Amino acid sequence: MDILGLFNYWVFAILLMIGFYAVLAKKNLIKKLIGLALFQSAVFLLYITVGKVKGGTAPIFSATAEGDVFSNPLPQVLILTAIVVGISVTALGLGIVVRIREEYGSIEEDEILEMDRQ
Amino acid sequence: MFVVFTAGIGVLFLLGHGRVRGTLEEETRTNEGLRHYLIPRVVGQLLIPFIILFGLYVQFHGEYGPGGGFQAGAIIAAGLILYALLEGEKHALNVVPQKVLLGMMAGGAILYTTVGIFGMLLGGNFLDYSVLSDNTVKGQQMGIILIEAGVGITVTGTLLAIFHAFAARDN
Repeated sequence: MDILGLFNYWVFAILLMIGFYAVLAKKNLIKKLIGLALFQSAVFLLYITVGKVKGGTAPIFSATAEGDVFSNPLPQVLILTAIVVGISVTALGLGIVVRIREEYGSIEEDEILEMDRQ
Repeated sequence: MFVVFTAGIGVLFLLGHGRVRGTLEEETRTNEGLRHYLIPRVVGQLLIPFIILFGLYVQFHGEYGPGGGFQAGAIIAAGLILYALLEGEKHALNVVPQKVLLGMMAGGAILYTTVGIFGMLLGGNFLDYSVLSDNTVKGQQMGIILIEAGVGITVTGTLLAIFHAFAARDN
């Protein structure tokens, strides 16, 4: 098996794990959100890679391109929606972080939990 | 698009309308923008019209090629955010006031839904463009353009409203 031929999948796995690690292990809420965004990007990359057809062009309809090979548009459409969801999640998450910062004066998870326990 | 719309409503609920905190004298103190810096101002003034023009191109070309309402809305919002960064938030809110932004958010979503339900009233499915006109192709073109316009308006309004909600916070 050609390892370099699977370059996209390696990047996918590495990005996914970096994002996963950041979401789980980092205490800073902003860093957690960055990890979430990385995780999402990894999933986008996987889907786009799966939909790629070797030698295929962009899936744009044109009358002259009869019989041309083009990449599968379905994963691209799915990911377009997923990107929108990603933006929304990031915006909402950052909004919540801003409110938490105003209430607690901190965005470190352990400090916030400590304050809650008191 | 409705995801972004919902997120925009959520952010506005979380952060308020952006007018809650900033009192008048604080606004005049902080909202100067980058006006005293020559290079960003000149480059920005050159770029902003073309960014918005490109956004409109993506909007109206979306029927035939890559592009469409969401991307166009994001590009136009980016141009207006650049204006807000250069001239200060107050000027940006004079150009597109908060009320207009809220109207855009709701109006685009309403336009989208109206076109969908109009198709149902004419005997098709929800968002069935073919029945909008006697000519099927014409009806589809009309439907796509209207839908994309709705999406573009909502996305522009929502992204700008989110930006202003965040920007008004550190006043």
